[in-house]
Amino acid sequence: MNYLYHLYMEFLAEHGIPELFGNITYYVIPFCIAAAAFLVVVLALVLAERKLLGWLTHRKGPNRVGLWGLLQTLADAFKLLIKENVTPDKADRFLFNLAPILVFIPVMTVIGIIPYSSEFTFVNTATNVILYLILVAFPILSVFLGGWASNNKYSLMGAARAIAQVLSYEVPITFVVLSVVTLASSMNMTGIIFAQYSRLGALGWFCFPCFIGFVIMFICVLAELNRCPFDLPEAESELICGYNTEYSGMRFAMFYLSEYGLLFANALFLSIMFLGGYLSPFGAYLSHIIWGDTVLASVMVYFEQAFWLILKASLIIFVIIWIRATLPRLASFDLLKFSWVYLLPLSILNLFIVVILKYLTGGAMCGLS
Amino acid sequence: MNIDELKKIVDGCELQENKICIKNDLHYVIEFLKNNYGLNLLKSITAIDLGEDVELLYNLFSVDDGENVVISIKVQNEAESVSDLFDSAKADENEIYDLFGINFTGNENLKRLYMPENWKGYPLRKDYVQDDTRLAWNENDRSNA
Amino acid sequence: MKTTAATLKLNLGPQHPSTHGVLRLILELEGEKILSCEPDIGYLHRGMEKMAEGMTYVQYLPTVDRIDYLAGCFYSELFCKTVEKALDISLSQRVRTIRVVLLELNRISSHLLWIGAFLMDLGALSPFFYAMREREMILRYFEKLTGQRMMYNYFVFGGVRKDIDYLEDIEEIIKVLPKKIEDYEKIITDNPIFLTRTRGKGILEPETAFNNSITGVNLRASGVEYDLRKTDKLYEGFEFTPVVLDGKDAWARYKARVLELRESLKIVEQGVNILKDSEPLRQKLINPLTLKLPEGEYYSEIEAPRGLASLYIKSTGMDKPYRLKWRTGSYYAVNLLRRLLVGEYLNDAIAIAGSLDIILPEVDK
Repeated sequence: MNYLYHLYMEFLAEHGIPELFGNITYYVIPFCIAAAAFLVVVLALVLAERKLLGWLTHRKGPNRVGLWGLLQTLADAFKLLIKENVTPDKADRFLFNLAPILVFIPVMTVIGIIPYSSEFTFVNTATNVILYLILVAFPILSVFLGGWASNNKYSLMGAARAIAQVLSYEVPITFVVLSVVTLASSMNMTGIIFAQYSRLGALGWFCFPCFIGFVIMFICVLAELNRCPFDLPEAESELICGYNTEYSGMRFAMFYLSEYGLLFANALFLSIMFLGGYLSPFGAYLSHIIWGDTVLASVMVYFEQAFWLILKASLIIFVIIWIRATLPRLASFDLLKFSWVYLLPLSILNLFIVVILKYLTGGAMCGLS
Repeated sequence: MNIDELKKIVDGCELQENKICIKNDLHYVIEFLKNNYGLNLLKSITAIDLGEDVELLYNLFSVDDGENVVISIKVQNEAESVSDLFDSAKADENEIYDLFGINFTGNENLKRLYMPENWKGYPLRKDYVQDDTRLAWNENDRSNA
Repeated sequence: MKTTAATLKLNLGPQHPSTHGVLRLILELEGEKILSCEPDIGYLHRGMEKMAEGMTYVQYLPTVDRIDYLAGCFYSELFCKTVEKALDISLSQRVRTIRVVLLELNRISSHLLWIGAFLMDLGALSPFFYAMREREMILRYFEKLTGQRMMYNYFVFGGVRKDIDYLEDIEEIIKVLPKKIEDYEKIITDNPIFLTRTRGKGILEPETAFNNSITGVNLRASGVEYDLRKTDKLYEGFEFTPVVLDGKDAWARYKARVLELRESLKIVEQGVNILKDSEPLRQKLINPLTLKLPEGEYYSEIEAPRGLASLYIKSTGMDKPYRLKWRTGSYYAVNLLRRLLVGEYLNDAIAIAGSLDIILPEVDK
C-alpha cells in the first residue's frame, strides 16, 4: 500500500499537482477500478452459475451466444439495459426507484475494502471487519424498501421474510466473527490474514481451531445471500419472485448484480476469515520457489496472492452453487427456528472454545511465524 | 345391500337395471345408506337432462366391501343437497348448478364455476341454444358481474 | 370474503409458478398463516361433456386424451372400455396386454413428472431435470410407437391402432429406470430438509378422504387399500401389490408414488414378456362410420394416476351420446384444498397442494 501510495505521490509531484488532490483521489481511483472489475466478475459469476447448474442438472447451460455461450450474460445484460422500466401505478414512485440504487452502493463499497493481496488493499481501516459487517447488512434495507414500495403482496411478504431472515442470521455471524477476532487479536482483515500465516501453510488457517464457526458462518452466509436452501425472500414457487416481483429492466438488473456482487464479497470474506485469505496453502509462495529471490518474484507474488484468494472464493462459490442444485428450500418457520435454536447457541459455544484455546496456548494459536 | 329394506322406509322405490329409483326423500335415503350400509364414498353425482325433468344419479361406494349403489331421482329445478353428508357433494352440486341450473337447497356455496358470473343459460340443458342472442355472453354485461 | 385490517387477501394464481396450470386459490392470510382458502377453477374449461353431445363416438375419441395431458392413455382407455362394454366386445389377450403395458408406462411418466414438479415446488432444482430425463425415454418410446408424445390416440374401440413394436426400447426402460429411482430416493427421500417440509404436513385422515371422495394414491397413502386395478378385468393375470402406506402426510404421498413406479415397472415387465411370446396382433375392428351404441346407460371406471376416473354414457341409440359425464380425481383434490390448507403456513400450503397431484385440465374438463 505504502509503496503504491509513494509512487502515486511522486507521479503527481512531477506534474506539479498539489498533494491534497492526491490524498483525496488516491482512495477514489481504486474504487473506480474495483467497480469496473466488479462488473466483469459478476457477469462471469452469473455465467459460471448457469453453466454449473446446467452441468449438475444434466443440461448444457448457455451454449449459443459466443464460444461455448461465454457471451450469454453480456447479451442478457444488454437485453436488460434496453428493456422497458415498468413502474406499477400503485407503487411509491420515489422509493421504488431509489431502492435499486441504494442496494448497489454498499456492495460497491464492500468490494473496495477487501485486501486482495498484501499491497492491493484499496482502503485499509483499522477495524474494517466491522465496516464489512455493516456494509453487508445494508442491502437488506433496500430489499425491504423495494418490496414495500412495489405495493405488491408477494413483494411485501418477500421483504418481510428477508428482514426476519437477516435479523436472525446476523447474530450468529457476529459471534463467529468475534471468535475469529479473538483468535487473531485484530479487527483488521489484513491483520487476520497475517495471524493465519504459518510455515506449515494451510494448517495455520482458522478453519481448524474455529471449525464450528466456519460451518456456522457458511450457513449464515447462505441465509444472508438468500441462497438456496434459504432463498425464501424470493422463493419462486411461493412468492413468484419475492421482493423484486415488480422490477424489470435495469432496476431488476441492479438487484441481480448486487446479489451476485454480495455472493462474491461474502465468498472473499469467508476465505479471508477462515481460509487464510491470500496466503498460499503451502506456506511459501510459489513465485518465490520458482523465481527465487528476484525482482520478478516480488512482483509476481502479488498476483499469486490475488490468485489464491480468488481460487478460495471460487471454491466456496462452487459449493454454494452445488448446494443450490441439491437441496430443497426450508420452510420459513423452520428457518428462523434453525437460527435461534441451533446456530446461536453453537456460535456462543464456539466463542467459548476459541477463548479457552487462546488462553491455554497463551496466544500462540495465532502468528506461528 | 337389500332393496327390500329400503322399500320399507321409502315410498315408491324400485330397482331399475343397476340403479335404485326413488321419487323423493333423497337426503334421507342417502343418509340411511351411508349410516347403515357403510357406503362412505360418493363417487360422483351425474345429472342428465331428460327434457321435462332432470335425472340425478348418486354413485355411492363402500370402500370396505366394494359395493356400488346408484340412486336415481328425477327433479325439476330444485333438489335436496347432501353436502352435509359428503363434502365432495359440494363440488358436484356446484358443477350441476353451473351446467344444469339446478338449485340445491341446503348448499350455501353455489356459484357459477366454469361459466362467467353473468352467463345466461345452462349449457348442458337440452334447450340451451348456442347462437341465441338471449343466451350469448354480452361483453357489455361484464361491468354488472 | 371479508377481510379485516389484520388479514391479507392473496390471489395465488392463476398465473403462479406452482399451481401447475391455471388454478386460482383465493387465500386469506394472517401473516403467513392461511385462514381460509377458496379455489377458483374454470380457466381451462373446454366443455368436454358438451362437446361430446355434438360429436360421433369416433370423432370424440381423439379429444379424450386432452382431459389429462400427462396421462392421456387412461382416458382413451376409459372411453374405449365404456363403448366396448356397450357393444359387448371382448378383447383378445394381446390387445389387453398392449393396453396394460402402455397404461403403466404412461402412469410412470406421469408420476415422474409429478416427482419433479413437487420437488420444484419445494425449491429443489435437480430432481425436476432428472425426472424429465427419464420421462423423456418413455415419451420417445410413445413417439416412436404412436407418432405423438402426449396425445397418443392409440386405443380404438375393440383394439389398438396398430400392433405394438420396439419392445427392446421398453426393455431398456425397465433396465435403466430402477437404478434411476434409487438415485432419486438417495437425494430426496431421507433429505432432512425434505423431511421437515413434508413429514406431518397436510395430514389426510381416511374419513376426510372418503368424505371428500379422494381416491387413488392419495387415499392409499392414508392407509386405505383401494386399488381398482386389483378388480379390473384388464389387469387379470398381472402380479402386483397395491402400495399402501400409513403416513397420511405429504411425505407418504411422495413415497407411495415412488413405490408405485416400481410396481408399474413390474407390470410392464410381465406385459412385455407376454407380448414377446404371443402371436402378432390380428384384430378386426368395427366400422366406425356406422357405429351406434344401443340404447341404455353405460358406466365404467379405471384407476388413473390421479385417482379414480369414471365415465358415464347415456345413449338413445344414436351415433352420438345423449349425455356423457367424466369423473376425474383432481376435481375432488382441488376441493379438498379448501379444507386441508386452513391453518397452514403459505410455504407448507404449496407443499400440500403439490403433494395431492392436481392437474388442471382434469379439473376443468
